[in-house]
Amino acid sequence: MEAPVEKPNSRRSFLKSAGSLSISSLLGTAALMTMSDDARANMEWAEWFQGNYRLMSEEEKALARARLERRYSREYGKKVVVDGTPAQEGVLMGYALNIKKCIGCRRCAKACVEENNQSRGKDQEIEWIRVLKMEKGEFSQEKMNQGYPEGLGIQVGGNAYTPVGDVLEGEHYYQPDAVPEKDAAYMPIACMQCEKPPCVKVCPVRTTYREADGPVVIDYNWCIGCRMCMSACPYWARRFNWSDPNLPKEAMNPVTHYLGNRPRMKGVVEKCTFCIQRSRQGRYPACVEVCPTGARKFGNLLDPNSEVSRIIARKNVFRLKAELNTFPKFFYFMD
Amino acid sequence: MKKPAFLPAVLLLWFVSLANAWAEPVKCFESRKGASEVTQRMIGEDLPNVKCSPKTGAVLWWGNPFDGTVPMGDMPIQDADYTRGKAVVKPRSDKLGLLPLCGNSCHTGSLPKGFPTSKDARELVMMHQAIVLDSTKLPHGRGNIWCLDCHHSTQRNKLVDHRDKPISFDQPQQLCGKCHGEVYRDWREGIHGKRIGEWASTGTKRWFVCTECHNPHNVQHGDRNRGFAQHQPEKAPTLPKGMKTADHERQKH
Ligand code: HEC
Ligand code: HEC
Ligand code: HEC
Repeated sequence: MEAPVEKPNSRRSFLKSAGSLSISSLLGTAALMTMSDDARANMEWAEWFQGNYRLMSEEEKALARARLERRYSREYGKKVVVDGTPAQEGVLMGYALNIKKCIGCRRCAKACVEENNQSRGKDQEIEWIRVLKMEKGEFSQEKMNQGYPEGLGIQVGGNAYTPVGDVLEGEHYYQPDAVPEKDAAYMPIACMQCEKPPCVKVCPVRTTYREADGPVVIDYNWCIGCRMCMSACPYWARRFNWSDPNLPKEAMNPVTHYLGNRPRMKGVVEKCTFCIQRSRQGRYPACVEVCPTGARKFGNLLDPNSEVSRIIARKNVFRLKAELNTFPKFFYFMD
Repeated sequence: MKKPAFLPAVLLLWFVSLANAWAEPVKCFESRKGASEVTQRMIGEDLPNVKCSPKTGAVLWWGNPFDGTVPMGDMPIQDADYTRGKAVVKPRSDKLGLLPLCGNSCHTGSLPKGFPTSKDARELVMMHQAIVLDSTKLPHGRGNIWCLDCHHSTQRNKLVDHRDKPISFDQPQQLCGKCHGEVYRDWREGIHGKRIGEWASTGTKRWFVCTECHNPHNVQHGDRNRGFAQHQPEKAPTLPKGMKTADHERQKH
């Protein structure tokens, strides 16, 4: 059905018939007339018209991936693979993080960028993992007299005095010479891959959804950029491409998955997928492998012998904001 | 106007490319700086063995997680309940410069004269100061252990178990496990330490051995004093547009 129009020599006939169509087709035609390595210019018209990935037939999915492979290979000057491996029976991916071991080195955040083709550089830097530095305590003898009314303030008592508007919630931008710092604890946060994801509930176009093996994914092509999911997420796990992503050719990771690390475009939301392009092939996510302290663990929650299952069985685990009933598959633990 | 600027630019480019060609191969470290170095190389089209952090020199990404590994061999605790799978490790012997010498040149078992086999701490005059500056204050065990609790008393190219049987340097977990049983158990189950490769419990995994992360001669270093050396952190995230400093989050009350 689409084969004939994809041939370059039929471009003219396509232009003729598309001339009277909608806005998006106009964008498409404009794109076809320029030859550059700009993403929009390289898009084949069929990409503008493709359906929601989840609703496509197997052939349509394969065609969509082949189209992307052509476009990406051209844009990045190397052979790019867009995989579509589906969920495997009997697998529910889960994650555990030893919060006592984290030293705040941020290697996970950087490895994630190497793997997942995020935008980098000054203009738009996107990292899916954020690492918070937390003070271990704020209590001291000197503060015992704080918290009593100054002027018209309300008495809060002793050490608890904090002016309105100040938060104790930790730092993102700490930059010491060496970590871990004395008296600091670190808390990495990324997508929790909730079993009941609020982001999925709010998506007006159903482009973000939970896959059968657990991860919550996004069909970037179907995303309209409304950012409802971002405001629904209680963990601040989603990022938005406000402008065209900056992904240098040589740094681009050519092994991608349709629902994972394939290059994104301006105006779409992205987030952690447990490295679906790796984990569906049996490989640990990049952040698990890079963590120098071994604080990050990943595996199949349905397999009692997996590392995560053993941790849940043996250690004290908790889930972030469990009271919201999001049922994260990301567990924090300590030994 | 353009030409004069053009020539120096070309020259500069040429110099840069030359400098690159002569530059040392990129070396970065996997886990413990100074004890787990790897050299970057291509192992396939567009596929390096490792990607390294330009800021800290740490490995950020493995192209092949099993590069340079050998089978770990069975765990001496036969009926222990651990995730079996296919375990591989990187041999430690390659990293130990003194190992080929120590067993035959310096400590042969009879030499030096009066070959000391006592486990009492003593001063090592002018010896091994790169490893322990002051041997009477070994920063491991808080005064309760000595070199020969770990190194074999007559075969110095071996470590030693509780029954004076030698252990290979490639199997430090057997040494550490004799005193740190609980950690050893967690390590066998994949809870302590780390593994890279395949996540399935039956998959092939590269296990990191204890000395890839801990310096056996110093586990009390750093501000936190808890067994794991401090690291230089990676770059902080870029501040949001328009924000000049991150002072807002550092305010003390
Ligand atoms: C807690 C156990 C332990 C103690 C105590 C210990 N060592 Fe070691 N030593 C090791 C291990 C394990 C290695 C191998 C390190 C590696 O794999 O990186 C090693 C390696 C060495 C090496 C070889 C280093 C090289 O680069 O070739 C020397 C020399 C050495 N130790 C000397 C000493 C001396 C001297 C003392 C006493 C002051 C001592 N060790 C105490 C466990 C110990
Ligand atoms: C002969 C017994 C013995 C052996 C063998 C041994 N250790 Fe230890 N280790 C100790 C003792 C004792 C302490 C001190 C515990 C304390 O601080 O009270 C200790 C402390 C540590 C600590 C710091 C714990 C903390 O909380 O501060 C680490 C890390 C450690 N050992 C790692 C290792 C590693 C890695 C090996 C193997 C290369 C090893 N040990 C081999 C006896 C041993
Ligand atoms: C991937 C790196 C890694 C490996 C491999 C590793 N450790 Fe650790 N180990 C750590 C970190 C990180 C800590 C926590 C240090 C801290 O709390 O600051 C730690 C802590 C410890 C402690 C302190 C006490 C405790 O309960 O936490 C001991 C003892 C220890 N390790 C022994 C071992 C032994 C024995 C092995 C090998 C069987 C081993 N480690 C392998 C990273 C590692």
